[in-house]
Amino acid sequence: MNRTIKGRESRIATRRGILQTSIAAGVAGLLTPLAAPHVWAKTYPSMGTYPAGVKGKTAFAAGMFPLTGPYASLGGDERNGFLLAIEHLNNGSKVTEAVPSLSKGGGVLGKKLIFGVSDSQTLANPAVQAATRFIDDNNAIVMTGAISSAIAVALEALAQRKKVIYMGDITASDATTGKDCQRFGFRLMPDNYMFAQALAPVLTKQLGHNLKAAYLVPDYTFGTSLHTELTQAFAKYGWTSATEQLAPLGTTDFTSYLLNIANSGADVMFNETVGADEVTSTKQAVQFGITKKMKFVIPLLSPFIYKPMGPEVLGGMYGTMLWYWGMQEKNPLVKYFVADFHNKFHYMPRPTAAECYTCMIMWADAVERAGTFYPPEVIKMLESGYKVDTIIGKEWFRAEDHQGVSPVVVVQGKTKSEIHGPADNWKITDIVPGEELMQPLKDTGCRLPSTTAA
Amino acid sequence: MPPTAVILSQAFSGFAFGTLLALMSSGLTIIFGTLGFVNFAHGAMFMLGAYAAFLVLTYTHSYIAALAAGALILLVAAFVLERGLLRFFYVRPPEDQLLVTFGLSVMLIEGIRYFFGSDSQRVSPPSWGDGIVNFWGIFYYPLYRVEVIGIAAAFLLALYLLLYHTSVGLMVRAGIEDRLMVGLLGIDVRRMFLLVFAVGAMAAGVAGVIFAPLSAVIPDMGTPFLIQAFVVVVIGGLGSFGGAIVGGILVGELLSLTTAFNPDYSQVSIYLAMTLVLILRPRGLFGAVGRI
Amino acid sequence: MSASVVARRGSRWLPEIIVVLLLVGLPFGFVAAFDTVDLLSRILVWGLFGIGFDLLFGYSGLLSFGQAAFFGTGGFMTAYLLTSHTLTNVWLAMLAGVVAAMLLGVLVGYLALRRVGLYFAMITLAFAQLSYFVEDSPLAHWTGGENGLPGVPPPTIEIGPLTFSFGSGWRTYALIATLFFLGYVLARFIVRSPVGAVLAGIRQNADRTAALGHSVPGYKLAVFVLAAAYAGLAGVLLGIFQSYMPPGAFSVDTSGQLVFQTVIGGVGTLLGPTVGAAVWLFLRDELQQIPGVGSLWMFILGAIFVLLVTLLRKGLYGTVAVWWQSHAVARVAATRSEPRPRAAVRPHPGAAQPTPPSAAGAAATPVLEARSVSKNFGGVHAVSKVSLTVPTGEIYAVIGPNGAGKTTFLRLLSGEMVPTGGRVLLRGHDITGQSVTAVNREGIAKSYQINQLFNDLTSRQNLRIAALGRHRGTLRFDVFRAADSIPEVEESIAGVIDELGLAAIADLPVATLPYGEKRRIELGLALATLPSVLLLDEPLAGLSPGERQDVIRLIRRLAKGRTIVLVEHDMDAVFALAARIMVMHLGRPLAEGTPAEIRRDAEVRRAYLGGLKAHVHA
Repeated sequence: MNRTIKGRESRIATRRGILQTSIAAGVAGLLTPLAAPHVWAKTYPSMGTYPAGVKGKTAFAAGMFPLTGPYASLGGDERNGFLLAIEHLNNGSKVTEAVPSLSKGGGVLGKKLIFGVSDSQTLANPAVQAATRFIDDNNAIVMTGAISSAIAVALEALAQRKKVIYMGDITASDATTGKDCQRFGFRLMPDNYMFAQALAPVLTKQLGHNLKAAYLVPDYTFGTSLHTELTQAFAKYGWTSATEQLAPLGTTDFTSYLLNIANSGADVMFNETVGADEVTSTKQAVQFGITKKMKFVIPLLSPFIYKPMGPEVLGGMYGTMLWYWGMQEKNPLVKYFVADFHNKFHYMPRPTAAECYTCMIMWADAVERAGTFYPPEVIKMLESGYKVDTIIGKEWFRAEDHQGVSPVVVVQGKTKSEIHGPADNWKITDIVPGEELMQPLKDTGCRLPSTTAA
Repeated sequence: MPPTAVILSQAFSGFAFGTLLALMSSGLTIIFGTLGFVNFAHGAMFMLGAYAAFLVLTYTHSYIAALAAGALILLVAAFVLERGLLRFFYVRPPEDQLLVTFGLSVMLIEGIRYFFGSDSQRVSPPSWGDGIVNFWGIFYYPLYRVEVIGIAAAFLLALYLLLYHTSVGLMVRAGIEDRLMVGLLGIDVRRMFLLVFAVGAMAAGVAGVIFAPLSAVIPDMGTPFLIQAFVVVVIGGLGSFGGAIVGGILVGELLSLTTAFNPDYSQVSIYLAMTLVLILRPRGLFGAVGRI
Repeated sequence: MSASVVARRGSRWLPEIIVVLLLVGLPFGFVAAFDTVDLLSRILVWGLFGIGFDLLFGYSGLLSFGQAAFFGTGGFMTAYLLTSHTLTNVWLAMLAGVVAAMLLGVLVGYLALRRVGLYFAMITLAFAQLSYFVEDSPLAHWTGGENGLPGVPPPTIEIGPLTFSFGSGWRTYALIATLFFLGYVLARFIVRSPVGAVLAGIRQNADRTAALGHSVPGYKLAVFVLAAAYAGLAGVLLGIFQSYMPPGAFSVDTSGQLVFQTVIGGVGTLLGPTVGAAVWLFLRDELQQIPGVGSLWMFILGAIFVLLVTLLRKGLYGTVAVWWQSHAVARVAATRSEPRPRAAVRPHPGAAQPTPPSAAGAAATPVLEARSVSKNFGGVHAVSKVSLTVPTGEIYAVIGPNGAGKTTFLRLLSGEMVPTGGRVLLRGHDITGQSVTAVNREGIAKSYQINQLFNDLTSRQNLRIAALGRHRGTLRFDVFRAADSIPEVEESIAGVIDELGLAAIADLPVATLPYGEKRRIELGLALATLPSVLLLDEPLAGLSPGERQDVIRLIRRLAKGRTIVLVEHDMDAVFALAARIMVMHLGRPLAEGTPAEIRRDAEVRRAYLGGLKAHVHA
């Protein structure tokens, strides 16, 4: 009664004020997380090594590479790519700057990357053993490394069980993102199908249609699947098979097979062997005069084949690679990568290094965009189809089978006169974009299990 | 049934590979015959020869020098290994020798990997090995490989002369028959052992030099040959020089001819043969009775 | 039960108790150090693999370079059955894997064990290679080829409404540890049983073991199959533990790694391979983490291996075990306070003479007969048409100059060699061509010219091997009793010890004994098989004059109730002992008759004594 209007007003004002303040506070509260993304860390449940592995200031990356055994040379490259990636992610670099989410450096989501490297001896068992140890002991939050598809398949399965993401860098078997695909596994490089699809039109353009081909096939799962893909891809252009020579595991002398190939009357020989076998069989093929009689193609070129063979043999020869440093002419990122790599390791980087490096970049970018290390979110980001600018080109994964949409680089060996420096062995004839090469999903046989499936 | 031309060329190919195997296996067999143990490091020695060839050929381009280097490096290595380690093992049970050479093999392979890396090194055939030989129009064969037969045969001949036409060789052969007796006759058995080990190692090394232009030169290159050499030596007879030659050619032919029919079983076939021999005639084709 | 008996019984189980304590306690340490018990699980899997291998190599002396074949077979069989859903019960699939490995073990063992030593090692290597290549190509459809078989489901136990699955982690550790312990206990039983004693005999002197009445091929095959079973079980556990069966399971590397680990840990200790596995797996992981080492880890491990083989042959754990044991032996030796008399063999009046199986009733029937026995080696006629007839209870001597063929002839009688002509009969029953084991069972035992003893064992243990043969038959798998628990066997041993005066040296290792005492044990071995016919090949060789007199007296005593064929150079002994003598020369019988007749025989003098005036002796 003696309340003045002012008082009521003030009461009303106060009420309004309170309302306003509360609204303001509420809005502010809603907006604050947007302003400070790290505070807006939605709490995710624990899964695998999350959040234990990233509780502190570091995040652990595990790499299993063959450092001894017949593929040790490739494994060493892989490891070097891995090491450089970690350095770039931690300290920043011109390459990582090109990726918006990684442009600030300082690790991944502010966590410095630490790592562990183990020798897989090109065997699945030691790889699985080491990976298990890194996961259990060091709470590794990501794994990589392969060379042999057997290793990749085994590590993928481990990834699914332990709920730790595995980035399959060097594994060409279709099965890795085919019948053995896993939700926690990704494969960046093109698979056998894609290599075959890339090579067929290019080679046909260069050499012609309806040619007769002779094949040297390593007689184990990887080789026979590559062979199937090749013959199917080339059949579209009327190529036929003059002879198919299957060389079993352990062959040191390919003479018998090469003799048959030499006598087959083929126009083109495909040497589908890899690693040291590639070198041995090519050497022997040269001695049998096959390279003079017919065109010689190595569908999956191993980078170290050049040193033992030289331009006399490989000049003019066709092959495919995942990547070649020669791409620096068109892609400035490659230039920075090559420079840093050469500085650190004193040799020109080879495809295996580039592939492992890029895998780490892709993973880091996905984590940054997810804002968390929580695997299902990272997986979602990797599946999102977001295109990352990498030294290989614009890279992303296909969501349905985690196959990287990666290009295939078709190269031709340089003859002596074309060489202008060390490691300048190949000229790029074509870079076939990944989108054109992807295997139809229905043919892959991949059924991705859920993130919670074992 | 594959055509005759294929079979003929495979047979020739088997012969060529077989002479190389024979050279490598002859070293293994005389080491076993005289010193009484299986040299598990033989494959690593083969590999050392190939790397020696690589080094020498890079700087001199002389094949002869490479051959000499291969032999020399193995001579030194054999000397060091025998004097430094292996001679303490003669009195030990045979398993111990097997084990220690097994460990040595790992050390040699990984040591080479440390210094040279795992990349395949470049070793080309000599210039006088370039070209193809045409055998009466039926099949043709790389010239270097034909020459390999000659080179391997030359070394085998030299070994033969050493073993069968010198007094030293006589002592070695006697030692293969009865080591104790030879010692009792006053012959310095220790020096003989060293000599035999060195000769055996050199045989492996020279085989490595010869084979280097034909395959990838990597630290692990010797292992498949080691196992194949075992098969040869068992089939031919442990301790028998003639057995190593015949066995080598036999295994070479087996590997080669089976690929004409069914390559899947070519590797399997030599182990089957080895098993058969071990069961039916364990002393091998030419081995001495009672060595079991 | 007295306290000392309890203590002794308890100390017998001491290793098992320690192992249980370790199996229970170590995982906690591992989890503290490595955050996971999986490394220990892996070590135990290799350890189980190694127990079988140690029984084969360490205890029986059979170095196999092909154990991977069984490891892989067991693992892949189980993995295949489970991944192809042929079997859903994991436990059944595991059993199937072990059985598959054992079957392969029977096949490979049957073929490989026909040879010994290096040849045996090489056959096993060849088989392992065969299985590796077969896994890779022809059978790739079932084995996954070079990719192996991923996705092996872990076993589950359902107790009521609860399901326990054994992935990796604690539960699987418990499973693996339990199986490891059971495997260890079984192996310990075997090692301490009569079977273990026979295996030890086979390792040290397989020929002598056969001559003492044991079926050496039978025991060898048994231990080989057993090792295959252990290998198969280890392979099964590996596949289940990591849900993945790698093709490398068949490779030479796997067999080689097993050998590496066993040698590093210690051969012949059962736990050595586990220690070796721990060292190997641990070092392999740790070495790589050291900056700068990287791929050199294998070089370092190889160097360690070479060092161990050269300097510390018994391995790390083995050296400790041997030191512990020698400590124990020293304690035992110290407690035996009686002085060791170096006296001669004292005839023990009341000693129970081991009764020879066949009574000397039919004194007229010759117990041993050789009819025109010959042995040719190519063109060399070592023995030509030698005949003899030995009545029961007689001492018959065969003498002749060096190279006469005496030892060869004796070998034809004992079954060590098969005659190329003629027949050998025992009590009228044709035993020509029978194996030395069969001949021994018939009642013929031989004492060798050069001591064929089991050098790592004590005198008593030596005799036990012989007595076990007599009382247990050629092949028996009584693994659940201790080797020294058979009363008849211990009685036989006691009897021989008394007879030969070996009491003071009964529990000392034979390798430490002087030559004379070794010779007595040599004789004792033959005696302990309770033969009715004793073949003595130069029993006096290398003995001093005093010792000779003892042995001569001994032989005379032994002849009571037994028949003895004696080959000797010591003419005094021969003329003193023998009822009849046959002289051989260049493989042929030169003369036969009583000692007096032989002494007078001119031809004998000419051939043997070189035409010198024979010395007349009493």
